[in-house]
Amino acid sequence: MLEATPTKHRLQLRYGDFSTLTEALDYAAQGETGYNFYNGKGQLTFVLPYAQLREDAIAIAKRLVGLKLERGARVALVADTDPGFLQLFYACQYAGMVPVPLPASLRLGGHDTYVAQLKLLLMNCRASVAIAPEGYLAFLTEAAEELPLSFIGSADALMALPESQAALAPSGPDELAYLQYTSGSTRFPRGVMITNRTVMNNLGHIVRNGVKIRPGDRAISWLPYYHDMGLVGLVLAPMAAQVTVDYFRTRDFAMRPRLWLSLITKNKATISFSPPFGFELCMQRLRESDLDKYDLSSWRVAGVGAETIRAQPLLDFAEKLAPSGFNTGAFLACYGMAECALAVSFSPLGQGIQVDEVESETLARTQRAFPALKPCTQAMNAKEFVKCGFALPDHSVEVRDAEGNTLPERHVGTLFVKGPSVMSGYFGEKELTRAILSTDGWLNTGDLAYIADQSIVITGRQKDLIIINGRNIWPQDLEYLAENQPEVRTGDASAFSVVGVDGEDRAVLVVECRESDLERRSVLVDNLQGLVCNELGIECYIELVPRNTLPRTTSGKLSRSGAKRDFLKRVANGKAEPPGVNAEACHFQHRLVSVAAGQS
Amino acid sequence: MPTYENIVQQVIEAIKEIVPPGLEINPQTDLISDLEFDSLKVMNLMEDIEDRFDISIPLNILPDVRSVEDLAIQLQHLTGED
Repeated sequence: MLEATPTKHRLQLRYGDFSTLTEALDYAAQGETGYNFYNGKGQLTFVLPYAQLREDAIAIAKRLVGLKLERGARVALVADTDPGFLQLFYACQYAGMVPVPLPASLRLGGHDTYVAQLKLLLMNCRASVAIAPEGYLAFLTEAAEELPLSFIGSADALMALPESQAALAPSGPDELAYLQYTSGSTRFPRGVMITNRTVMNNLGHIVRNGVKIRPGDRAISWLPYYHDMGLVGLVLAPMAAQVTVDYFRTRDFAMRPRLWLSLITKNKATISFSPPFGFELCMQRLRESDLDKYDLSSWRVAGVGAETIRAQPLLDFAEKLAPSGFNTGAFLACYGMAECALAVSFSPLGQGIQVDEVESETLARTQRAFPALKPCTQAMNAKEFVKCGFALPDHSVEVRDAEGNTLPERHVGTLFVKGPSVMSGYFGEKELTRAILSTDGWLNTGDLAYIADQSIVITGRQKDLIIINGRNIWPQDLEYLAENQPEVRTGDASAFSVVGVDGEDRAVLVVECRESDLERRSVLVDNLQGLVCNELGIECYIELVPRNTLPRTTSGKLSRSGAKRDFLKRVANGKAEPPGVNAEACHFQHRLVSVAAGQS
Repeated sequence: MPTYENIVQQVIEAIKEIVPPGLEINPQTDLISDLEFDSLKVMNLMEDIEDRFDISIPLNILPDVRSVEDLAIQLQHLTGED
């Protein structure tokens, strides 16, 4: 009979004050806590105490070193939620190599897309080693064909290799702890370089200043290991503070979101994080009859981040689950990104979601976020944003205008961050790095924000990024699919997201097309919708427009923001009604019309 | 152990629960191009099917599934293994 690792332990609590991940694990391994794994039925399937994890990691590290690779060689790991990934990840630390988590997300009919994505990542990080769990090995092997890898296979196959007799030399503070591919563009991957010093700085802040770990804490997570919040927030941070974590797979959460609540109840978990989307999904699938089965009173930190936070769905979640003991004060809004290891800011603990209501007219006209007068006579006059809290202690944030001037409080501009948690750069991409990270250490987050009472308030996300159901979609990936159609020329497609009436984001792809045959236009729209769904797993609204409709800059570049503005105008005027729209698209169109009408 | 025909039937029933009523579903129906399933709908379908057959579906079958038929064939392997 398996027994999960305990919540309570005898070790003196240390708040991640270690210089490397191996130092942190060496310490955690002296206690009884660790990682536990549950299946889709909520049954415990594997227990990995930190002590055992350390032993396993060292044994694997000796095999890795036996491969006689250069120090800092990249070890690509398909990051399914299983013990094997964690053993390998930490093994790289003991071996002085750099783990690179690869996505383990599989889509319907997505064989070729997935293989192509893996290949691109293997090439981009110049991997020497690639390892996948059994079920993913065929994809990885296919992706690695023709690539000069020293080893590709399963963890078992690696363990069958001879071990090195040399003493292990774990990665030092200034060596890379991992490469994190930002969970986005499949065509243009960017590997964020994070050193041990950087990640330990961030972990220290997360556990000491963010969630303020205390004895009795226990975390639970279904976030994928290949995302920054899943890896840094719910794998590394708990370990750095000797906290036990219970995991179940993202796919099981997506299928059975209520499992999250059952496991929190069962294990009296105190800490869990999710993008807002996770709370919404969970609530949609709640059954009234289940409410008294849950006891969520232990849940003291319900972290929310990774995408734009809207207050209402969270408040609905809290209200619905209040009878189960959920405390609305447990919501902890935070802001961060892989380029800053994970966290940039946390709102104050225990206060729940704090919103800032501003005058929407003034905001739209002057980019200044003045507090809305209360009581608001008309709902349309106020726009509310969630406060994401204060920047980490030894970090600075600045809001700047387009010319680079620092703006005062309550002025909207681009948010910049500087401090010891900021990445070293993008792997092998000097130009991309220079474009967003200045030589004096300021990172351009690409997010629009203002500061109110020292709190960071995000008003818009990275300029062009499209986020659907918690997934980052790069517009260039959508545009690429359109441009690959024989009817469409390169540069004749523009993708962006628009907000529906219910506040949900929807992807829109506007395509210039010369084809006038209605039948063929309809086929093109259908094909594109299928392709987008297939490659990116989202629904997308496709609009075909005549040539020279999309707005361009003087240098001929497409302006996505301009395309979006024009699209909303066409919708408001009832002019955007392309042939071949299906029922769902019509419904969507209807919703858009209402939004656009409300705004104009 | 359910027969192949039975599996196809059950898959079609499961799909009908999540698509607009009146849609014609047959073994050749393509889940992506005909039904435009996004990842959430796929997950809903998998949950329903896992419950119907009392199996656990490994996600690595998905990349090679496009049609109802493809899915049924994979499920036949899975239910046969129990």
